[in-house]
Amino acid sequence: MSSPKSTFIQEANDLLQMLEEVLLELETAPESPGQIDAAFRALHTLKGSGGMFGFGELAAFSHHFEDAFDQLREGRATVSPELIAVSLDSRDHLAALLALGPDEEADEDTRIIGDALLARLRKLMDTPADVSDTFAGQPPAPDAASAEPVVPRRWSISFSAEPSALKNGFRPELLWDELALLGSLRLTCLGDNVPELEILDPGECYLRWEMELETSVSRERIEDVFIFSMDAEIEIKALDPVEAGVASEPDQDPDSPAETATVTENGPVAAPKSESVRVQADRLDDLMDQLGELVIAQARLKSICEKFDDPRLESTVEEIEALVTGLRDTTLSIRMLPVSRVFGKFRRVIRDLSLELEKPAQLITEGGDTEVDKNIIDSLTEPLVHMIRNSLDHGVEDVAAREASGKPATATVRLSACQSGGEVLISISDDGAGLNAEAIRERAVERGLIAADQYISTEALYQLIFEPGFSTAKNLSSVSGRGVGMDAVRRVVDDLRGTIDVKSVAGQGTKVTLRLPLTLAIIDGLLVEVDGDKFVIPLSSVEECVELPDIETARDDGRTILRIRDQLVSYLSLDKLFGYNISTRSHRRVAIVNADGQRIGLVVDDVLGQLQTVIKPLSPFHHMVEELAGATILGDGSIALILDVNALVRRATTVMIAA
Amino acid sequence: MPQSTQTVASAGAKVHQLTPAKSETETLLIFKLSEQTFGIEVERVSEIMDPQNTARVPNADPLAPTLINVRGSIVPVLDLRNRLGMKPAPQKHTSRMLVIDITLNDEPCKLAVMVDEVEDVIEAVTEDLVSVPELGIRWPADCFRGVSKRQDKLVILLEASNVFALPTH
Repeated sequence: MSSPKSTFIQEANDLLQMLEEVLLELETAPESPGQIDAAFRALHTLKGSGGMFGFGELAAFSHHFEDAFDQLREGRATVSPELIAVSLDSRDHLAALLALGPDEEADEDTRIIGDALLARLRKLMDTPADVSDTFAGQPPAPDAASAEPVVPRRWSISFSAEPSALKNGFRPELLWDELALLGSLRLTCLGDNVPELEILDPGECYLRWEMELETSVSRERIEDVFIFSMDAEIEIKALDPVEAGVASEPDQDPDSPAETATVTENGPVAAPKSESVRVQADRLDDLMDQLGELVIAQARLKSICEKFDDPRLESTVEEIEALVTGLRDTTLSIRMLPVSRVFGKFRRVIRDLSLELEKPAQLITEGGDTEVDKNIIDSLTEPLVHMIRNSLDHGVEDVAAREASGKPATATVRLSACQSGGEVLISISDDGAGLNAEAIRERAVERGLIAADQYISTEALYQLIFEPGFSTAKNLSSVSGRGVGMDAVRRVVDDLRGTIDVKSVAGQGTKVTLRLPLTLAIIDGLLVEVDGDKFVIPLSSVEECVELPDIETARDDGRTILRIRDQLVSYLSLDKLFGYNISTRSHRRVAIVNADGQRIGLVVDDVLGQLQTVIKPLSPFHHMVEELAGATILGDGSIALILDVNALVRRATTVMIAA
Repeated sequence: MPQSTQTVASAGAKVHQLTPAKSETETLLIFKLSEQTFGIEVERVSEIMDPQNTARVPNADPLAPTLINVRGSIVPVLDLRNRLGMKPAPQKHTSRMLVIDITLNDEPCKLAVMVDEVEDVIEAVTEDLVSVPELGIRWPADCFRGVSKRQDKLVILLEASNVFALPTH
């Protein structure tokens, strides 16, 4: 799958994301030549390589878009809010063109959008073009705002493509054309590696090229040309010494041999800071699957070992155990990505929303470098978007109301992440009006979720906003209030085996915290026994274990409440809930768990211990059994079912209300 | 009709597809369940195992009440008697588990069924299949492809894609 085309699409998506961040950055700080340059380079690369890989429309559009930024670089135009708005829309258009796929023609609508955007761009660019006149006396030279060296330098470039490059659609002449655009190019083709005719494979590339390029652009620009010649050997050297006083890049010291950068593997954009390799995501998933099998096999080995009394076997098993643990930690760390990857997207969401709703708002992100498993990151975007929309639409008051209550007109939405034990906490807080507990209560009664006179804790009441179709919004807006969304949030979080806490202070704001496991594939669990069967309760939801007093077992008045250190905790008996034989054992145990914010006891026959295990999903035949999160295979080969505590308690509650 | 046969024959390439179909045979695994003899295409059966320890799934559909561990994968066990509306019966010493390959929601997956006895593997000629008489059986008709005669005994061919479908309720 790692074809040059898919490499391009991946790179292009990265570039588009980078472009969005740069544009938003420019919106707050319009006078930063570095950002303008970065945007220009991204567009230039999109144009060059887009054409090469059959994205003609993308290349053509980037070309015009790039022109605008070229004018900015040269100081012939200035950054204005309109320009940023058009540029953001143009970026979205580029993303749409990229999604079309190679060699596809855009449909009529897309083309009309594109033309309209270009017309807007052109209009913006034409008017301030005269601005350069105001800098009378100054030469309209590109050096005014450009960070690039002005004096042309000579570069020696040698290039030999990877032998199979031609089969992958590599076309050297396009590279030379692009290089020639940068300055004057002298090209020599070397055929010294071409083999005898009998053994020559016409599909292979045996040629090498030596070039001399005289140009005023920077090394990065030259390297950009080669960005998609991944496996080629490229050497770029500066030929002539930089004249004193003109040197703008400190690393271009003529005496330094370090001037030579040989680039292989990771593409020519040498990233000296982090030596990283791009890996296909499904290979990581395979690695994780195999590691899971290894963990199970290792548990089996350990349980066999316990039957033999052989110190040599024991020490080997221990060694393997340590190695598996190390391997597991390394594999998990490979899959970890910083949450800033999702956080970055929300600046745009907030910007567009606050314009649409006419509620000025700023986004503050904290803890963006907190790392979470890739699969969790991937599923987080949607729920976070929903929650941010809700915050801004329902939570934050309009400007008049804010000013009346003495709050700053600009609302603050805070997105923060931190790690706590085996969990990641991601919270979204706003300084809006807070949740209206009364309205939620009314709505819940109306929808039959609670009885009119039922006592319910505030935490439990807030959880009701995640019920399907639950909305207290009086006016439906395009943004939210249709009651779809928050239940989708809970579904995603449930699937990730996480929980949601809601805190709210009237008049001061709301804070919603998602508690998510660090990884999905492996869990720490408490192994328990019910009627001879084994179950795993995820350790992240277990608060403590206590013994069930025998007097409670004997009780038949239906009371299911325990007193634990002056706190009353209601409990559920798993044997009853599962329809199993009712246990007559004494000294049963209760695992106190946290389900949707409330403490509840789960009565089991025995607690067998803690374990770390791999979650295997259940087949579609058992998907409707919501209280099960999956299954796992224990060391002795038997199967234990993994409980989804939130779903289990939710189901028990509905059964009780129905009864 | 002879007219159309000629047209097809003159098309050349299509003759090859037609001729073997006339006398096509398929390999069937024959097993017994509650005194009845059933057949299933052998390529559907990935293995035959001795009865395994099963794990109960609480609150599961009675059609798939348990799970087994087939060399590291967790496989649901379907109660074929429940599916065909037969009365429950105890396990016998000849009982075996068949692990079957099926496609569910476009994903390949495995499931297991317990049968009373695995009898034989036979070649059956497809054209000898007799459609199931509507009134002859009391089981859900969509579970069967037809009936084949074998030494004066009737073999009921299962329609795997329906027998092993997800419960609709």
